[in-house]
Amino acid sequence: MGKEESPKTTRRTTRSSALATPSKNVVEETKASSSHPPTLSDLVLGEKGESFSADDLLSSFPGRRNQILELLRLLGPQNSPMFPVFVYGGTSTGKTSIVVETFRHLKRPLVYSSCLTCYNPRILFESVLNQLFLHRKNAANGYSSAKRCESPSDFVNFLRDALVSILVNTKGNSGKVTSKRSGKSNGNMIYLVFDNLERLRGWDKGSTILPLLFNLYDILKMPEVGLIFISSASPDTYYSNMGYVEPIPLYLPDYTQDDLQKIFMRNQANKKLYSSFLSVVLRPFCRITRRVDELSSAFSPLFTKYCEPITDLNVVPNKETNQRLYNFFRPHIAPALNETFKVSSQQSPEVEVKERKGKGGTKKSRDFEVEELDFHMPTSAKYLLIAAFLASRNPATLDSSLFDSTGGSNNRKRKRKLSDKSMEQKETAEQELLLNPGSFPMERLLAIFQCITSVGEGPLDEEEQEDGGLGIQDVNGGLMSDVLLQLSSLCSANFIVTGGSCPLEGSTRYRSTVSEDMALKVARSIKFPLSNWDNTIEHKFQTVSWCQVSAGLPSNNCSKPPIRVTS
Amino acid sequence: MAASSASAGDSPPPSSPDAAQNNLQHFFILHKASEKSTSSGKPRKRLDLCPTKLKEGDEGCLRMEAFQLVWSGIESSIKDVLRNMNAHVFNQIHSWVCDSFGAIKPIAPFSSPLGPFPIVTHATCCAQLFTALLLTKNMESVDDFSTFQELGLCLKSHGCHVASLSSLDFSPKNGIAGSLSSLLRQFFIRSFDAADMSILASWYSQHGNYGSPVVVIIDDMERCSIPVLSDFILMLSEWVVKIPVILIMGVATTLDAPSNILPSNVLKKLCPCKFTLGSPAERMDAVVEAALVRQCSSFAVGHKVAIFLRNYFLNQDGTLTSFLRALKIACVQHFSSEPLRLILGGLLVKEDTKGSQNEKVIKCASQVLCHGRDQMAEQTDINIAHGLTELKRLQMLWSTVVLCLYEAGKCDKVQLLDLFCEALDPDVYNSFASDNDNRTGLGKKFVTSLSNDHCMLEQHLSSRKGRLICQVVCKVRDLPAALLCQLLKSWEVLTVNVLEIHDMIKELQSLLKFEEGSCKPDLTDISKYFMMPIECMHLHEIFCFRNVEKLQSVSIAMAALINIPIAATCYL
Repeated sequence: MGKEESPKTTRRTTRSSALATPSKNVVEETKASSSHPPTLSDLVLGEKGESFSADDLLSSFPGRRNQILELLRLLGPQNSPMFPVFVYGGTSTGKTSIVVETFRHLKRPLVYSSCLTCYNPRILFESVLNQLFLHRKNAANGYSSAKRCESPSDFVNFLRDALVSILVNTKGNSGKVTSKRSGKSNGNMIYLVFDNLERLRGWDKGSTILPLLFNLYDILKMPEVGLIFISSASPDTYYSNMGYVEPIPLYLPDYTQDDLQKIFMRNQANKKLYSSFLSVVLRPFCRITRRVDELSSAFSPLFTKYCEPITDLNVVPNKETNQRLYNFFRPHIAPALNETFKVSSQQSPEVEVKERKGKGGTKKSRDFEVEELDFHMPTSAKYLLIAAFLASRNPATLDSSLFDSTGGSNNRKRKRKLSDKSMEQKETAEQELLLNPGSFPMERLLAIFQCITSVGEGPLDEEEQEDGGLGIQDVNGGLMSDVLLQLSSLCSANFIVTGGSCPLEGSTRYRSTVSEDMALKVARSIKFPLSNWDNTIEHKFQTVSWCQVSAGLPSNNCSKPPIRVTS
Repeated sequence: MAASSASAGDSPPPSSPDAAQNNLQHFFILHKASEKSTSSGKPRKRLDLCPTKLKEGDEGCLRMEAFQLVWSGIESSIKDVLRNMNAHVFNQIHSWVCDSFGAIKPIAPFSSPLGPFPIVTHATCCAQLFTALLLTKNMESVDDFSTFQELGLCLKSHGCHVASLSSLDFSPKNGIAGSLSSLLRQFFIRSFDAADMSILASWYSQHGNYGSPVVVIIDDMERCSIPVLSDFILMLSEWVVKIPVILIMGVATTLDAPSNILPSNVLKKLCPCKFTLGSPAERMDAVVEAALVRQCSSFAVGHKVAIFLRNYFLNQDGTLTSFLRALKIACVQHFSSEPLRLILGGLLVKEDTKGSQNEKVIKCASQVLCHGRDQMAEQTDINIAHGLTELKRLQMLWSTVVLCLYEAGKCDKVQLLDLFCEALDPDVYNSFASDNDNRTGLGKKFVTSLSNDHCMLEQHLSSRKGRLICQVVCKVRDLPAALLCQLLKSWEVLTVNVLEIHDMIKELQSLLKFEEGSCKPDLTDISKYFMMPIECMHLHEIFCFRNVEKLQSVSIAMAALINIPIAATCYL
């Protein structure tokens, strides 16, 4: 507690010294032609002259009192060196906010870099250096950085230069100030904060940069530098006895329900009303998530819904109104629990009315309408999508074993020869199925595609015949290259994903990611009896052979492979 | 002459290389993915064209000019139609951008441009990115490139800073650096070796750029590499307190797509709002109406060609781009294969009726016609001129009736494309006509039709031919009086230029008033007498392109040429 008090008393002086030490410090460092020359005080957060007491700090983070006090203890009083600190905890537990706000309270200079925005070592290094050199990117300097710095060794050198020059300046300055004032300035310490450290692990050079950062304290050997790492992953995932001082961990646990209650009660206009709202929603939602960001985005639309029956938002609700509101509100809770991504629409009221009218007007066909596909897709792409869906759903092993049992019915020599090949394929298919479930090679997809288009021809034929007979036959015969085009556009629409290519064969395997609902919708839109095929599909592929399939590849797309379908 | 024109028919019209280039330009503006193949196809085309051009330069030029005259008319009307379709959505988006910017602005104060990092000083607000999800309703995104371009221009004209990115900027190969540098390139012309958001931040605060929103448009969200896109969104949302970025993403499939493909921590950063573009079917109908039905230009397609175009759209490609490409190919083939004399004659008649006269064409036409006069009797010319006027009249009647039927079928979701194909079918027309051969006279038909029993219609319904038209006609017959009144009113507007039908509508309206809604009009007569498909008209060869085999082979070749690189990727 005592430690936390000390900055409070020095606040006034820090602010005044921040005001009193402009311009002379490091102006020469920057050639920026802006309104006011940057000073070290620009590295101090918060408005000048703003007061942000320790109580303010503690009260703005309900449930984090212990952690904030611990952080203040680790940072120590002014001018005291510190060991590196490692702040970690789950997403949205207030890691960054607490560190930043603590520095805002302490009024100490802070160099902040997020490894999310600084997505490679060079940008990370230059970002840190730019801040230390008080460099501003602008049109005059061509938006360039203060120093071009790509290698870790350059970074360490530049960093040392920058720190030394700053420290010399501040020391000289603080000496002057000390002579005038009671002797306390905002300190000689400079703090480097690295946020989102877990992103570093994904970098190409992450394995070299991470030790560098953790080692920075030892390398620099400057007690005036404080290092703070912020990460959502625990420290165990980073260091493994690499010979440097391990940072002091500071863990921010997930909020409890009470904490969340306090957090959400802050800044509410009508506290009574909101607490009655929270009493309804907080418990069910806490079972799902305790992340503040998720909860707040879920609560804000719900609260408006909750308040709908009330005309005056400043009303103090009594028990009766609470009950009434609850009864009105209850049906909305359960759907909201399952909603992760709510998209609002901004249609003009006229259009909405029109839509409603349209729906009312066509009541008969409503059931049908609801399940219609709401985007355009060429017919051949639809068939291909269904083929992919079936190929993912039904095991390939069954396909080929069934083929083996009936493959001999068509006694051609070439075929039998190739069916040996298909035996091999069966084995590899089994193997691949284990590695990559639900995936299929393109040959199989095309086989099923041909099979179902020849079935689909039946009902479609009538319509197409009427139109001059240029219909679905084209899908089969005319444009196999177009089928590949459809495949590629299905892939890019994320309906089929590629992946799991076999390193030896080099062939890509595909997998359908379509939900059953979607597949049914598509099937309905082309009047394809999907339900007949699902799961029982293997019985219908009896006569599809791998050799026919490979013969039906685009190379000879003119001849239609003799696929017979038993139904 | 006939022989030479036939030889020219195999290739697109002989033209100067520049013109050929203009010609092809259209394709690769719309067909972005096909850039390579079209450009590789270009020189080959030029080689083909050169000999014909040398042989018969003048004629080739005339053909080319005639083609360009007609096609530019069609093209501009299509563009207008599409622009009008989008205008409404664009306005909606603009007003949403303004609202969203108003909501972000308080978070982004102008002060402290130095702070290189956007540190949120108010712990309570979690920065969210306002995101418009623009549903394009088409799995293929080719059609929407131009739409997004226009959206960008529209927002720019309202003073927003606009950057248009495509899925190519979000490739796993270049990663986030690639997408950031192409984002910066949109604002700074030059490129940076280390693209960084802080550059954009200082740009935004320095140049007097402050005060208007920064709109980032991503054409096709689903095609982007998801990890890169996620990083990009996270980064933008981190900076949104400094740079008020508003995101517009095109979604090709369903509204679930973003939540299916993006991780939840990214979704949390988005504050989405949905907008919808016109569906491809709607757009197709609008284009068909503007280019093929309403415009009665000097170019029309025959029934089989229409069927081919329709089936290709529904079954194979599904993009307006390829539809227009096929249409253009048809147009090119028509103008290069028909006898020049007839084409120009046709143009002359069109120009006359339009009022605005293209002097050049008239001059050319009269020259050619004068030249031909030596060989042909004058009488033939007069006959042709008369025939053309009649043709024009019939076409007008036909298009008016088709539009009327479309209007009537709208509530049943009848698509103009289907109706158009059916209305072009000579067999349907003949079957209609033969049913009532014994009856003649226009005046008689309404009286008879009112007492007419339904058996004839049912007969039509049972036969597959002309089903759609019969369906619409039946529908109109069964309409309640109030709706019928409405329909007749809209017909009155549609038919205002065609006196014959207009009078009939008037007659019907008065009948309706007189009988107070008990009357049941029959439209079979209208369709019977006025819906003469172009192929049944005399001299239709002048305007009508019917060679479906040729079109099919050319467009398949074209498609293959474009698709080879894409298809090849499937094998890789």
